[in-house]
Amino acid sequence: VGFQKILTLTYVDKLIDDVHKEFRDKYRNEFQQKGTLGLLNGTFDFKDDFLRLLRDAEESSKVRAPTVMKTFEQSQKSQKTVKCMIETRGEKPKEKVKNKKNKGSKKEGTEAVAAASKVSTGDKQPSTAGDKEELTRDEILQKNREEFFKKHMKAGEKSSRSPKPEAQKEKGKKPRVWDLGNSNAKVLDYSNSATNGSGEACPVEEFDPDMALGDRNREPGRLYDLEYESDDEAEEEKVIQNPSKPSAKKGGLGGMFGMLKGLVGSKSLTREDMDPILEKMKDHLIAKNVAAEIAVQLCESVAKKLEGKVMGTFTTVTSTVKQALQEALVQILQPQRRLDVLRDVMDAQRQRRPYVVTFCGVNGVGKSTNLAKISFWLIENGFSVLIAACDTFRAGAVEQLRTHTRRLNALHPPESHGGRTMVQLYEKGYGKDAAGIAMEAISYARNQGFDVVLVDTAGRMQDNAPLMMALAKLIAVNAPDLVLFVGEALVGNEAVDQLVKFNKALADHSMAQTPRLIDGIVLTKFDTIDDKVGAAISMTYITSKPIVFVGTGQTYCDLRSLNAKAVVAALMKA
Amino acid sequence: GMAAGAEPQPEALRLAMPGPALLSVLVALLAVAVTFLLWRLVQGRRSRRRAVLLLGLCDAGKTLLFVRLLTGKYRDTQTSITDSSAVYRVSKDKSANVTLIDLPGHESLRLQFLERFKAAARAIVFVVDSVAFQREVKDVAEFLYQILVDSTVLKNAPALLIACNKQDVTMAKSAKLIQQQLEKELNTLRVTCSAAPTSLDGSATGGPAHLGKKGKDFDFSQLPMKVEFVECSARGSKGEEGDAELEGLEKWLAKIA
Repeated sequence: VGFQKILTLTYVDKLIDDVHKEFRDKYRNEFQQKGTLGLLNGTFDFKDDFLRLLRDAEESSKVRAPTVMKTFEQSQKSQKTVKCMIETRGEKPKEKVKNKKNKGSKKEGTEAVAAASKVSTGDKQPSTAGDKEELTRDEILQKNREEFFKKHMKAGEKSSRSPKPEAQKEKGKKPRVWDLGNSNAKVLDYSNSATNGSGEACPVEEFDPDMALGDRNREPGRLYDLEYESDDEAEEEKVIQNPSKPSAKKGGLGGMFGMLKGLVGSKSLTREDMDPILEKMKDHLIAKNVAAEIAVQLCESVAKKLEGKVMGTFTTVTSTVKQALQEALVQILQPQRRLDVLRDVMDAQRQRRPYVVTFCGVNGVGKSTNLAKISFWLIENGFSVLIAACDTFRAGAVEQLRTHTRRLNALHPPESHGGRTMVQLYEKGYGKDAAGIAMEAISYARNQGFDVVLVDTAGRMQDNAPLMMALAKLIAVNAPDLVLFVGEALVGNEAVDQLVKFNKALADHSMAQTPRLIDGIVLTKFDTIDDKVGAAISMTYITSKPIVFVGTGQTYCDLRSLNAKAVVAALMKA
Repeated sequence: GMAAGAEPQPEALRLAMPGPALLSVLVALLAVAVTFLLWRLVQGRRSRRRAVLLLGLCDAGKTLLFVRLLTGKYRDTQTSITDSSAVYRVSKDKSANVTLIDLPGHESLRLQFLERFKAAARAIVFVVDSVAFQREVKDVAEFLYQILVDSTVLKNAPALLIACNKQDVTMAKSAKLIQQQLEKELNTLRVTCSAAPTSLDGSATGGPAHLGKKGKDFDFSQLPMKVEFVECSARGSKGEEGDAELEGLEKWLAKIA
């Protein structure tokens, strides 16, 4: 709901819950007995109650006065001796290693990072129990945290060797002094003129063949496999998942009784009943290539929706949860507003202007191939297409499109369409500005009476800021009717990152009040995944825009539209 | 030989002797089960399709129409986020009644509620905002198309009434004009929707049947169900205290009940 983001009122959630409960309790009888007609005919004098609840909520949020800062005497620091506050050199690199390690590991480490930062601040006052008179609650927490992370130390020790020489090198760096007055080039020239360009630049004494070669026992010329170290991550997982295991065991026993109870009478669902099932469903979804964060959020929302729901007889918790998850997935995949490309092209035709479609995406997802497929489909429906080759970077991009144009014209010769060439290529070679080419192509299409303009852009990584800016400029300047993001079905967690960053770039670099964002998704390489169709879910969940086309092969006929029920069935299949 | 053959027989008979008691119990149970199933089937069939669904875009006036039909009074309404259902007594003398179900029209909710209630539909009232119709023609036609090509709707062919609401406003379009425009728009839509790329599992996205007859322009008379157009006003031209003008709608409801 929108208001939560506009006003940061902390009591809103609680207020809604209170109002809900109070209203329900007050008029409980009317609801139960009279039903809908009672609702319509009854008068609900709730204004006073609502105002009272609102006042209570506002007051409760004001009650917490700003905490007064402790005076120095009250703080713990004054009670410690000076000795224990001295930091010993040896501990610092270990802290750095811990932080680095924790930042490196993925989702399981997010909690660890938060805890690690707390521990590192705690470490600045290393616990020497003998020096203090009393152990306050914070000290106890610190000690527990240290014990908890001693287990991490075992993993940290492995790579503690390398950061050590790094730390020493850092100490050797002296701050560079820039004199304002002395802007003499000679003084600022730190390059070693004697060694620039000469062959003996590298001092020979420092070259240690053993260090450079590494493993002496390797066979010369052999390419070894990539060694995968999974021990560190496995340990972290064990440490963090340990607290959750006993609860799972308890859930198992309770689940059995719950199932029996559920079979007989009507039972309302609680969080504990649903948790083990949701865990399993989440793992199942992740195994089917849904992005991890999306799977977590999905399960959370299903849990929230089902909490407190009364189950009917002969329905188990598993079936209810599965049903709810299936409905949620179908709803995600079915777009709110169906994108009918042909209808919009007809509208543009009536207004005598070309319908412009832009394809964007990362490298190698199949933009040019699917562009050709879509132009084939459009030609079959009787629309003439102009392909704008705005990929001026990749070698062979223009030639690829030219080959496609030739093939499409061979398949649909002008004779069978009333003498009009159905496909034409607009290109200006390599190295030119893509936005400029797109603009020229659109005006050319308008003059020549083409129905659709398909703009092919170069693939770019979502992290590449200058390229993203160039793409945003192309889209902002040319104002296409449809911006399609091409993503491959093989992508996993990356899908979330790609889409978020593409949308963000488009929004940031556009001057307009309402920036043009991604309007639809083309899911390619669908034939390479059999039933691991999770990428579809991730992409539609992030953008809430529909999947317009699905590419299932390399020939022109391999263009499909998405069938939400079939995809969800494949996703839920065990 | 014969004696030996005859002897096992009385034994077999004796074994089956406790049979009749057991057998009669079994037969009784079977009879009860069969009657129970039959009763459920009959009741199910009778009550399966007694619902009249109120569908339409957001702000078409479905909820106010619902309130007016049930209570005759005017209420301020908000955008519905869930369905409301109540039993509507068609006319004072007849004992027939139908269940009126008011479904939300919001884009994100309409399809899932339609999914839930379409099997129970005996008739559908599609409410159209006659004032905003010119602006919303494409959305109205798209929703109507989605309802009409749904396989359950095609199979059951519930009677369809297109209620052109908000006739109390002077700018409202007439039912005839709305019919013409919808037919034109649906004509285009059935071409574009069936020309869309085939679905992933091979089935066509536009539904198994081409809506209406091929080769001829689309007409509401080509549909398998009975379609009627009626003008109505839920608010009523005499303001909030006055009555709504729903005679056409009520007559139609009496007809299909």
